[in-house]
Amino acid sequence: MQPFALNYARPAAELEVTAAYVYDSGLQLNVLRDGRIAAGDHALLRELGTTTSTAGSKTHFDD
Amino acid sequence: MTVLIVTNEEDVTADMVVVHLNASGVPVVRLDPADLTGGVALSGEYVHGAFRGHLSSAGRLVSINGLRSIWMRRPGAAAARAATPSAWLTEEAGQALYGMLRGCDVRWMNHPDAARRARYKPWQLRLAQRCGLPVPATLITSFPQAAREFAERYPDLVVKPVSGTHPQDPPRAVPTSRVAPDADFSAVALGPTLLQRRVDKRADIRVTVVGDQLLAAAKVTTAAEAEVDVRFATSDAPWYPVEVAPRVAEAVRGYMREAELAYGAFDFVEDADGTWWFLECNQSGQFGFIEVDTGQPISLSIAEWLARPATGEQPHANGASAKVP
Repeated sequence: MQPFALNYARPAAELEVTAAYVYDSGLQLNVLRDGRIAAGDHALLRELGTTTSTAGSKTHFDD
Repeated sequence: MTVLIVTNEEDVTADMVVVHLNASGVPVVRLDPADLTGGVALSGEYVHGAFRGHLSSAGRLVSINGLRSIWMRRPGAAAARAATPSAWLTEEAGQALYGMLRGCDVRWMNHPDAARRARYKPWQLRLAQRCGLPVPATLITSFPQAAREFAERYPDLVVKPVSGTHPQDPPRAVPTSRVAPDADFSAVALGPTLLQRRVDKRADIRVTVVGDQLLAAAKVTTAAEAEVDVRFATSDAPWYPVEVAPRVAEAVRGYMREAELAYGAFDFVEDADGTWWFLECNQSGQFGFIEVDTGQPISLSIAEWLARPATGEQPHANGASAKVP
């Protein structure tokens, strides 16, 4: 038997974003492969869900 | 005067704010405490009654006395990526960094002490009640019998983690979930369990608070939606801007003052009568997805708050100021 709330647990979703952009320490921003600032591409952010409230992330417990 | 952003490199939501700060010419230093002893270094001396401290990150050097504000976003554990990481080194590095930063007169979004307290969900519920926000009937208990009796009084319940954290071994999510009518509450004895009356919602509401600004958005609940937890909703209905009733706005501002928060992401659900029921306030809640859908200038508001010039007045944890006596 496990704590009651864990009866409702499900596998955590993993966000796959590593290939989409990379951090540029000079700019202090993440950039896309073509050099554009990732934060300016709202369509991509929506698609990747990286700015979204998530549950189950190892570090992002503040949703 | 520099804005210090404490977060991890992958935090593209923080990027949205950095872009605005760059556009306004405000110096920014961004660091992840996880990189301490690697790409991040610190030094501070307390000599002759004065403090002088410096931080460096990826080759940028900043005086701690030259900071105007600190934005705590998604920092990694201190020294987690050190060449030889250890729990001891994490404690040492965290004490050194946050101890120095706590000693400087800057505005925080949010102050670590206020943030730590604000994460306690039971504390949130009580504060929300005191501020006049409607809170669904809630029970947190490790008594199975108390859970059974609560379920008799409120037959339609949801269960959610008390802490908001999720088990990591293996990684699992514990969404807010509807409790089955015939649930066996025996396992409540194995861990404090948060049960709450389910609100039959017609929309989820997110109120993002930045300083004195309230930016509210709603997402309609479709009739076919089976998920209680909006984070798992299958609906692709977009978030859209909504107005905040003056009574709710006053209560939310009261909550922010009491919690000493400069930023907060309030989650409500709206019932058929239009009442907004308080669920929680995440002191560092995500906002990018709201901005992307609604066009609300949340990241700009945060940048403007962080960029406000230092006033020389004694700061409070939430950025409010008082005259130095």
